[in-house]
Amino acid sequence: MRFDTVIIGGGLAGLICGIHLSKRGQRCAIISSGQSALHFSSGSLDLLGTLPNSEEVESPVQALTALAEQAPNHPYARFDAERFVTLANKGAELLREAGIDVIGSAEKNHYRLTPTGAMKPTWLTFGGYVHSASPEELEWKSVALFNAEGFLDFYPQFLADEMRRKGTKCNVHTFNLPELEILRQNPTEMRSANIARIFDNEATLNELANQIASRIGDEQAVLLPAFMGINSQGNLKYLMHKLNRPVAVVATLPPSVPGLQVQTLLRRYFQELGGTYMLGDTAQGYQATQDKISALYTRNHGDIALKADNYVLATGSFFSGGLVATNTEVYEPLFKVDVCYDSEREKWYDRDLFQAQGYEEFGIATTPTFNAQRAGQPIENLYAVGAALAGFNAVKQGCGAGVSILTAIEVAEQILSKM
Amino acid sequence: MMTEHSEFNFEQCIKCTVCTVYCPVAAVNPLFPGPKQAGPDGERLRLKDKGFFDESLKMCLNCKRCEVACPSNVRIGDIIQAARIKHSRKGPGLRERLLANTDFIGSMATPFAPLVNMTVGLKPVKMVMDKVVGIDHHRTFPRYAFGTFEGWLKRKRKKQSKFARQISYFHGCYVNYNNPQLGKDFVKVMNALGIGVQLLEKEKCCGVPLISNGLIDKARRQGEHNTALLRQSIIENNRPVVGTSTTCTFTLRDEYPHLLSIDNADIRDKIDLATRYIYRILESGEVQLHFKKNAPQRRVAYHTACHMEKLGWAYYSIALLKMIPSVELTILDSQCCGIAGTYGFKKENYPTAQAIGDTLFRKIEASGCDVVSTDCETCKWQIEMSTSKPVVHPISLLAEALE
Amino acid sequence: MTREVDVIIIGGGATGAGVARDCALRGIKSLLIERGDIATGATGRNHGLLHSGARYAVTDRESAEECIKENMILRRIASHCVEQTDGLFISLPEDGLEFQAKFIDSCRAAGIRADAIDPKEALLLEPSANPEMIGAVRVPDGAVDPFRLTTANLIDAKLNGAEVLTYHKVEDFIRNQNRIEGVVVRDMHTNELKELRAQIVVNAGGIWGHDLAAKAGVTVKMLPAKGSLLIFGHRVNNVVINRCRKPADADILVPGDTISLIGTTSSKVPFNEVDNMYVTADEVDLLLREGTKLAPSLAHTRILRAYAGVRPLVASDDDPSGRSVSRGIVLLDHATRDGLEGFITITGGKLMTYRLMAEWTTDLICKKLNIKKKCKTAELKLPGSRQKEERLSKRLHTIPTAQRESVINRHGDMVERVNMGDAAHRSLVCECEEVTVGEVKYALNELDVRNLVDLRRRTRVGMGTCQGELCACRAAGIMAEAGKYCSQRAKQDLADFLNERWKGMAPVAWGDTLRESQFTTWLYDGICGLKNEKKI
Repeated sequence: MRFDTVIIGGGLAGLICGIHLSKRGQRCAIISSGQSALHFSSGSLDLLGTLPNSEEVESPVQALTALAEQAPNHPYARFDAERFVTLANKGAELLREAGIDVIGSAEKNHYRLTPTGAMKPTWLTFGGYVHSASPEELEWKSVALFNAEGFLDFYPQFLADEMRRKGTKCNVHTFNLPELEILRQNPTEMRSANIARIFDNEATLNELANQIASRIGDEQAVLLPAFMGINSQGNLKYLMHKLNRPVAVVATLPPSVPGLQVQTLLRRYFQELGGTYMLGDTAQGYQATQDKISALYTRNHGDIALKADNYVLATGSFFSGGLVATNTEVYEPLFKVDVCYDSEREKWYDRDLFQAQGYEEFGIATTPTFNAQRAGQPIENLYAVGAALAGFNAVKQGCGAGVSILTAIEVAEQILSKM
Repeated sequence: MMTEHSEFNFEQCIKCTVCTVYCPVAAVNPLFPGPKQAGPDGERLRLKDKGFFDESLKMCLNCKRCEVACPSNVRIGDIIQAARIKHSRKGPGLRERLLANTDFIGSMATPFAPLVNMTVGLKPVKMVMDKVVGIDHHRTFPRYAFGTFEGWLKRKRKKQSKFARQISYFHGCYVNYNNPQLGKDFVKVMNALGIGVQLLEKEKCCGVPLISNGLIDKARRQGEHNTALLRQSIIENNRPVVGTSTTCTFTLRDEYPHLLSIDNADIRDKIDLATRYIYRILESGEVQLHFKKNAPQRRVAYHTACHMEKLGWAYYSIALLKMIPSVELTILDSQCCGIAGTYGFKKENYPTAQAIGDTLFRKIEASGCDVVSTDCETCKWQIEMSTSKPVVHPISLLAEALE
Repeated sequence: MTREVDVIIIGGGATGAGVARDCALRGIKSLLIERGDIATGATGRNHGLLHSGARYAVTDRESAEECIKENMILRRIASHCVEQTDGLFISLPEDGLEFQAKFIDSCRAAGIRADAIDPKEALLLEPSANPEMIGAVRVPDGAVDPFRLTTANLIDAKLNGAEVLTYHKVEDFIRNQNRIEGVVVRDMHTNELKELRAQIVVNAGGIWGHDLAAKAGVTVKMLPAKGSLLIFGHRVNNVVINRCRKPADADILVPGDTISLIGTTSSKVPFNEVDNMYVTADEVDLLLREGTKLAPSLAHTRILRAYAGVRPLVASDDDPSGRSVSRGIVLLDHATRDGLEGFITITGGKLMTYRLMAEWTTDLICKKLNIKKKCKTAELKLPGSRQKEERLSKRLHTIPTAQRESVINRHGDMVERVNMGDAAHRSLVCECEEVTVGEVKYALNELDVRNLVDLRRRTRVGMGTCQGELCACRAAGIMAEAGKYCSQRAKQDLADFLNERWKGMAPVAWGDTLRESQFTTWLYDGICGLKNEKKI
């Protein structure tokens, strides 16, 4: 099989990279070992929320200098402010082109409402998610929050109490539907995605609208857990129209319905652009000549190699298998490229789970142009992007999606510039 | 870590719930515990005490879509099937035996095909099958051909032997008894590529219906028999083995070692699916196919069968279809049609099977295609029964387009 | 506020719970005080091995005899807490067979059935055992769940009139000349001080009994010995595997419920560490190295977590240096020993002998109170163990297998108190360990649960593969909904619970365990924005 670029990893970074390249006429293949971490999305994409010194960031662009001082190995440290904004805006544009409705800018963070009622700074929020320009207050002074009866992956009181502290009155209700009764027969499958599926049926959605309508008063908005719209995106709009007021959602425990939708839309867009997406396959071997990778072998394709001019590692971190930790080392399992990590195991962790963990910053060491290297020698046509990179803490710094998107576009442009 | 074949593969599960999104059964049938519970969660409990085995695991279609989705390489489908094999106490009944023994039934039926086809199509017979045997009356049994494919190819042996390059064809029960035309199309395409087609010494059913109907010992015996034949062809005669059925091919390659503990590591890579085998030859550039000029355009919608998705080889079939000048191709989102071999034939599974396939059927109708193409014979039955479109194998489309 | 009972028991471990039950069955009004939750000390931090006594047969005949007697009693009275797995003592080439002969003789002399079997037969019995073994002896070891055992004792004690106060810490003793007349306790949740009076105060505080005795003005010298263990992700073995040699580090692999665990290491620790022990990388490496000799597959089995307990070793009274310790039961009547009336210390011993320790203690209490009632704890079955599991299983046949069998395993016939009548109550909170909403509510209503960690000890919520990743949030919601706390405290409880899980995962956080923890961090820190306000 012959491609211009083969991308290993089909999550946010891999897809954005593939889309950008495909748009410029490259033939790309993405190999994805199972579904991606987008399935655990919060409903927002973070660019930079907090500096390593715990200072909350208002403007990611303006915080860039401070970030580079505090975390010189951060992938962002390779971008100047102008480049950073260009890449971020390009990313938002690609998402919108793929049909993903996002709001937000790289100049100024806004805040998303988390399921425990916290306000976290973020960059882009998917349409329909509760967000606010200020961490201190919400857009509405009164809301009605409806949860599905027996849905355990969302606890409304967390939200209601926190919203009250922010000056928003929140009335909590539960609803029930015959379709939920059927779902509930299964002790485990009352999950967000399965609930979302029942609302694909317009009659069911209408019944929900009727139930809500009969129980709300003059609340300014209706909130729901994010179990809306797994296949069709119009559900929230339908409810808004029926209820004649804003209807918004808040994230749940996984699976993430909006994440699923984003994954689907990005993949679809990539394929429409002519990209080949191979799900459920794992890259297992390669061929190299001196300082270049010449062919890639996967589990499914066996002896039929995937050949390309360039290869991109978008394999994610430990969870996704892009990095592997044993009790003695951390390594990148496919090409065994250089990885930054601490050789002393006890330094990988902090005793408080909620503090920054050392291991989170481990990752692939790259050149300034994101080329992977072996024993310090760059591999000319192998790049690394996204969560597999070293030098940042996606959760603590609130920069996971940003690093994925920005480095993916940067690498795509590096590749295009070689043509 | 992330090792696919470790003994405790189920421990790689991070409880991320991704598999639950992609299980076609759990989405429509609340009595099935779902892939996470039935698979890795349940396996851990069954290791504690086999009393944790639940007969509801039989509701698993074995579509392996959970495995394709799993970010941790957990062989969820295999875990569920292996648990059924190990623990199920419910023996197969008449219906299971009837559905499982495709080759025996086929060999009995083909000599009397017109009669059999007429009989099983009769309403009273269908009602008896439904009420007494438990085969849903909505189902139409695939028609039996008058005379087998094997018989046909044996008569062509001389001609086939003349080609310099040879392969063995694992035709499967469906081609042999129900659709010899697909086999003939395959031979036509192979011959056009300069390759002769041989039969295996004495091919038996790959065993997948036996496995899914609980006749494991017989499945293992047939698996061992077939593996010996494959080995003879691949190693002794230096002839790779090629199949047109995704499920048969998948079974020979992967279900044998994973579910029946038959070691085929030495020959697995030489067992191929027709479209992949052809792609490989065309890619090498040594041979070219010549297509008819000015053939009427056909709008084809390609459906990725579950085991095709698991094999990861839809790429090859799609690539071949794209080569056909007269084909205007759309690719349907990969999803289960609901039949899963003999699963959908069972009366109790009928509503589940149709509910699973529902969105696919609607997408097919809306696609505006003239024909649906897929590499799986049971998907063909299901789609033809549930939509207005005919279903044709990519190899048949290819054969038809050749000069 | 002052209250008066016959006996105050300090310590909610198995021993304290056993004393409370024994007293209650003999009509003595008792109050058990525990500074945290039940079974948090050595009771809940050991192998969970139902010793046959074989391990002690060669070195400590008396302990061995006590063990086998209690073993047989527990099988009968606590059947829902016990798994009758049997045990193997395997000899590896490096051990030689010399010890085996002596071992078998000593077992038999102590009344422990010990049958030498062919290594091949041993492998059939336990396929995970090291195939290189050169000898094997089969003994009646088993597994016992200490949380269930303690809970069952307390349920029975309460049914018979005892009272239990968890999260109450003894701040001081009420002393009248040479007599202890009660205790001053602090309610750990409200910070309120309470005076509680009794004729006799029993110190069943385990290692913390050292400080308690000092507070009461007497000396009981104890030596904290840290023992670390590893928990593996699933049942690797179904038969206990021991090394047939003089007891040493990491030489017992015990199957317990859904997991297997290997232990222990042994090292002296200072008293200021006993409340918060961390397992070190060296200890983990040693346990793994030795563990793989018992069962080679441990080398590639996922490790769920590591934890450590403290053995309360008691210095012999006749050796002031404290070097010579007694491993047997130590019952101290401070009236005769120190001239302090109304105060008894029960310590030493082991989980296996908790009932016997309670019997001796209660006998002494009876003597002091002049009560002439015989101990019945060896005959009367514990709540949960009074009906056969098969019968319960049949009765609950409409409930799906996994949920049904799990709840019966955990609660025995107490399952009748668990509401699983409708789909909502059958919904799973913890998917790894099959804990339903109904079971969580039962624990919240009836089993003195104050926080998520307590809930875990009663139900196994969060004890499975994912270590609380999905269930913790669900359980916190149910607890808040049940009025156990406000949503603000629920969130801190959630953070505490996840940190308690992380404490055990961090020492083994590589491979899939690290992946799991990274995922947990994404969910709670990332998506949920949960914060921890407490200093670790």
